[in-house]
Amino acid sequence: MRIVVGQGSCGIAAGASKVYDAIEALIPNTDSELTFTGCIGMCFLEPIVDIYDGKELIKRLVKVQPTDAEKIIAFINGDKNAVNDIEICDDDKAFLEKQTRIALRHCGLINPEKIDEYIADDGYAALKKVLTTMTPEDVIDEIKLSGLAGRGGAGFPTWFKWNAARQSQGEEKYLICNADEGDPGAFMDRAVIESDPHNLIEGMLIGAYAIGAKEAVVYVRAEYPLAIIRLEKAIEQAKEKGLLGQNILGTDFSCEMRIKAGAGAFVCGEETALIESLQGERGMPRLKPPFPAQSGYWYKPSNINNVETFANVAWIMLNGGSAFSAMGTENSKGTKVFALTGKIKKGGLVEIPMGKTLRDVIFDIGGGIKNDAQFKAVQMGGPSGGCIPAHLLDTVIDYKALGATGAIMGSGGMVVMDESTCMVSMAQFFLDFTTKESCGKCIHCRIGTKRMNEILNRIVKGEGKDGDIELLEELCYSIKDGALCGLGQTAPNPVLTTIKYFRNEYEAHINEKKCPAHSCTELISYTINPELCKGCTLCARKCPVSAITGELKSAHKIDNDKCIKCGACYNNCKFNAITMD
Amino acid sequence: MDTIKVIIDGKECVGEKGQTILTIAENNGIEIPTLCYIKEVKPYGACGLCVVEVEGIPKLLRSCSAVASDGMVINTQSDRVRQSRKIALELLMSDHTGDCKGPCSLNCPAGTDCQGYVKLISQGKYKEAVELVKDRVPLPASIGRVCPHPCETACRRQMVEEPISIAFLKAFAADKDLKSDNKFIPEIKPATGKTVGIIGGGPAGLTAAYFLATKGHKVTIYDAMPKMGGMLRYGIPQYRLPKEVLDMEIDTIKELGVEMINNVKIGKDITLDDFKSKFYATLVAIGAWKSSSMGVTGEDLNGVYGGIDFLRSVALKKPFSIGEKVAVCGGGNTAMDACRTAVRLGAKEVYVIYRRTRAEMPAEKVEIDEAEEEGVTYKFLCNPVEFIGENGMLKEVKLQKMVLGEPDAGGRRKPVPVDEFETIALDSAIMAIGQKISIDGFEELELTNRGNISADTTTFRTSIDGIFAVGDATNRGASIAIEAIGEAQKASEVIDSFLNGKMVAYKKPFVSEKIVTAEDLRDREKISRAKMPQRSAEERKHDFDEVNLGFTDEMAISEAKRCLECGCHDYHECKLIRYANQYDIHPERFCGDKHNCPKEQKLVTIERDQNKCVLCNLCVRVCDEEVGKGILGLVGRGFTTVIKPEFNKPEVLTFCKDCQKCVNNCPTGALKSL
Amino acid sequence: MDCCCNNSDLSLIMPVLDKYADTKGSLITILQHAQEIYGYLPTDVIYYIADRIGESPAKVMGVATFYSQFRLKPVGKYLIMLCQGTACHVNGSQKIEQAISDELGIADGETSDDGLFTLKNVACLGCCSLSPVMMINGETYGRLTPDKAKEILRTLKEKAKEE
Repeated sequence: MRIVVGQGSCGIAAGASKVYDAIEALIPNTDSELTFTGCIGMCFLEPIVDIYDGKELIKRLVKVQPTDAEKIIAFINGDKNAVNDIEICDDDKAFLEKQTRIALRHCGLINPEKIDEYIADDGYAALKKVLTTMTPEDVIDEIKLSGLAGRGGAGFPTWFKWNAARQSQGEEKYLICNADEGDPGAFMDRAVIESDPHNLIEGMLIGAYAIGAKEAVVYVRAEYPLAIIRLEKAIEQAKEKGLLGQNILGTDFSCEMRIKAGAGAFVCGEETALIESLQGERGMPRLKPPFPAQSGYWYKPSNINNVETFANVAWIMLNGGSAFSAMGTENSKGTKVFALTGKIKKGGLVEIPMGKTLRDVIFDIGGGIKNDAQFKAVQMGGPSGGCIPAHLLDTVIDYKALGATGAIMGSGGMVVMDESTCMVSMAQFFLDFTTKESCGKCIHCRIGTKRMNEILNRIVKGEGKDGDIELLEELCYSIKDGALCGLGQTAPNPVLTTIKYFRNEYEAHINEKKCPAHSCTELISYTINPELCKGCTLCARKCPVSAITGELKSAHKIDNDKCIKCGACYNNCKFNAITMD
Repeated sequence: MDTIKVIIDGKECVGEKGQTILTIAENNGIEIPTLCYIKEVKPYGACGLCVVEVEGIPKLLRSCSAVASDGMVINTQSDRVRQSRKIALELLMSDHTGDCKGPCSLNCPAGTDCQGYVKLISQGKYKEAVELVKDRVPLPASIGRVCPHPCETACRRQMVEEPISIAFLKAFAADKDLKSDNKFIPEIKPATGKTVGIIGGGPAGLTAAYFLATKGHKVTIYDAMPKMGGMLRYGIPQYRLPKEVLDMEIDTIKELGVEMINNVKIGKDITLDDFKSKFYATLVAIGAWKSSSMGVTGEDLNGVYGGIDFLRSVALKKPFSIGEKVAVCGGGNTAMDACRTAVRLGAKEVYVIYRRTRAEMPAEKVEIDEAEEEGVTYKFLCNPVEFIGENGMLKEVKLQKMVLGEPDAGGRRKPVPVDEFETIALDSAIMAIGQKISIDGFEELELTNRGNISADTTTFRTSIDGIFAVGDATNRGASIAIEAIGEAQKASEVIDSFLNGKMVAYKKPFVSEKIVTAEDLRDREKISRAKMPQRSAEERKHDFDEVNLGFTDEMAISEAKRCLECGCHDYHECKLIRYANQYDIHPERFCGDKHNCPKEQKLVTIERDQNKCVLCNLCVRVCDEEVGKGILGLVGRGFTTVIKPEFNKPEVLTFCKDCQKCVNNCPTGALKSL
Repeated sequence: MDCCCNNSDLSLIMPVLDKYADTKGSLITILQHAQEIYGYLPTDVIYYIADRIGESPAKVMGVATFYSQFRLKPVGKYLIMLCQGTACHVNGSQKIEQAISDELGIADGETSDDGLFTLKNVACLGCCSLSPVMMINGETYGRLTPDKAKEILRTLKEKAKEE
């Protein structure tokens, strides 16, 4: 039997390495093999251990602790019931069963550090097919047929960019993979690199062949050390097998590939800023035009695609563009990977065909809201995107339909919020992010996001003024119009969508100095209902600032001047005597 | 070379293939604003001011880099474009800390460039200084002597020790000019053939005449008094303003071709209707010449005079017996002029009666002190309640004692009467408590509810088309001369535009201002203010000769050198402020955090003020791309980004060629050559 | 910071420069290695790098201050990277920050007086399902509560004492 421990970053963070070590200590006594895989995608169940008999998955164990190692050994030694208490339940199994995995097709199934496992699962077959039977134009045509669009967020047709780079004059061309996944709340690209690095390499090589590039670079964000290590190993292995470098697979196509680690700047997700960063400069966006297809890396024709985009390429080449375009909607083809997080029961990686609804993802796959709270909104596309409220849950996942809500498809971050999330505070959170991440080059973004953040900040503090909403809207539209790059142009989206769908929350903060979600601490006040208070003194003892006074067995009082709104009293009262307003 | 045709703002323009929209517009005389683009370096795209709208393209384009293509239809002034620029400028200004102008200039009702002329005086450039003053004030020798100088009130030097003696410096330079062989005469534009009638030859009327004449209009001033000068002549005593000085300044205005007609009374000798038919435009600047009364019993007695009536009689050299015991009621500058004149007329006991205390007196401190030196006695916290006479002649005044109560709306403590009285024997009493307008002859004009002529505050237009009004006679009533001069100068611009067919209202220009505290100035060396040489009180109180003797050159130059030079050196060249005024910006909407960097970081001969920096990055790019040095660099990211030569390391300075290209290309005042 | 008198052992960075100095566009990579070697980017190292790659110090400084990964000051023994991602925010990362602040008396970017801890708020660490999350010297701590965070810090303090 083969024991496979899920070792993506999430799994490791949840303790998968300790589980692995514990099993490893016991495994010499068995005839089983211990190995690992990348991200299985069910983050909410990490650490996960799969037990295979040959190719068949016979047990999937979840939330495994190091102390469970003995049970696992007992199981492989024949005790059929040894792991029953940690086996995945049927309901959770559905999380994966309801998905359609193309970009993630090997994730959680193969060992990302073993090229042979990738090759055994049709790996590099697409590259071979392309290099031996197709011209670059054929490749571009096939991609065009597939309808594949940029998965980084903007959804620009991939074939068009490839074709533009192909058509561009010049011998020296570059293919770049944007793995600077910076949206807070998104980790799809990391999962692909950590779990299936060869799929990325193969997709990139096909892209390089299509545009005529002899050099390919993967720009990975610095916060992904594991992804960098695994990709480095994969590149080495691919070179050894003649799949990278000179005369790949014996053809006259040659392409080198290297990794460049980012250094922490969200703006480098913008393609021209990424190019500047690749050149060792401050990651400040360039003026467009010229576009990278004409003048990119080292001012040569360059093509930049996102990890997930490349992750679909080999599949398309093997299965045909029309198989890909058979999935999805009129204007959005194939599948999309989402990182489902926030106040969700089952968080993890979800790949579904375009055309499913948000409700399908959040409720059917994600199992709904944590603690069965009320769904309030979902943030799509991180700081560049927007929030979509409950009444639009049946919106289909499609570039156009999502765009119509004011949000965007985005790169795949899907953060679910419940009724305890304050939408103004949420908008402020995103603006705080963009303010910190603004490169500072153009005025609209540098000062505009700062001012928006300040206005939002005063609103959540209860210092909002009449006219602030209108001022925010005016700033939003101007920044969208005037900012130099995508970061600035999309920065207002979280504000615009929250104003659009939750204007009443803004008004409550400004006019009534109330936070309807009871989330903004400055706007909360706690009071003790003397009728319900039993005088148990618990709250007074829990209060860190001694703001609560009262005699034993008589009603207590909160001094609101002293109160720091920590909520300790509220959370500890056994008689529901404390109300939050 | 391939040529292309594009339409810019409806105008067909020809350019070359490959040229940017900005270049083609520029070559065709269409200005597109930009702060971060110059030809010498690559387009950068930071400021976003150069955006334009192109038909068929949904996004705004940055014209500094967008290459034009044949047939493009470009709009550089659409609402969307202007809004984008406006917000950009507002945002920039919201993080731009600096003083466009010094507080002196901003507090001057006439907006005189005090810092500018003080600087010129410090360099001994007196004529240039006068030229600069006369850009706003055509009577500097007179005004420099009498102005209560709001400029000095605002002067930041007082946070170090005392304000700069701005007013006297102005008089000093103007005196020099008047005495010189080639005194400053402004350039006069070609005659327009338009005529302007001015009613009233006081500071406002003379000022308007001066500026309108320089614009080529034919100006005639009518005045009811025997000579021109208005209150400067008939309200200010000789010992403060020798009339010979005033005469010389009026003569200069006459030399510009202004016709001056005296002894003409409106409504009697000539009517307002006559002006309407005779002149393209008329300016009413008649002042406020009636003394206000207190409404106290006995005010009609012989021996009780109005303050300005008294001063006027003295100025007209009317025979006048004031007696030995004189009381002046009031605490303003007119009261001071009256009491000191009374001293000079030989009164033995002169009292100034004021309801509040010395600290609340509106008169200038120096006047209060000088009057005291000359023997005037102050009676504070009392108020006349009755003038008592005998046979119609004033004998004594009954005063009621007061105490100071709660502060009023203006913050001054209100005098409250108490039940305690005092009587003083008097020969004369002078009521210097205010002035009113006499409306005779101007009944046609709409008045304010205070009884003054109603004039629009931005166009100075009265209720009758073509008739404008400024100064003491209008709106809020009597004020100081420089106020009237300021209005007259602004009105002359409006009238000029009116005469040219399209009236443009005055608009207060936007300026950037910053807050400076004593703490910011604590390392300044203390240098005391030049003391104006004066005749001794004993000597001067017997005659009407000028009290002040004037600065010497050395005194003036060293006094002028005390100036802190608060205003920006780059104000006149600053692109930022120029654009700011073209786009009607309100950056206060976006007030928030600002860059707060230590000032005055020196780099060889360059002084840098990062708080003014707009991060156009031109200095960095010019140094890097054009000079090839790369001494300056961006540091940090986002809002907190600054430009600096790293670590201020001494070696860095040795790389600098001191070519000044960074300074010359800075669109605002962040860099300064020392 | 405006001091340039640190005495770093420049020989440590020489092999890195020998490898990358002549490859254009390698500045970020060089700085990353330098930071790995010295723990931060000392001023004299920055000047040395500028000299070796033929760029002005201002340019190198510009890059070093643009990216949040780079530090111009030494950090504590334990670098706490507190995730500020959306999921962590929604799940209460602010309360964790407050708890760390309370426990150590430091705010974002500061180092504790004993030189043990530096707190740094970082962009999403990508462990969203474990939110709120912090990473201390490469080890991830997930599903934090304020009490749990304090407990972790105390354990590390104890550990440091024992060493």
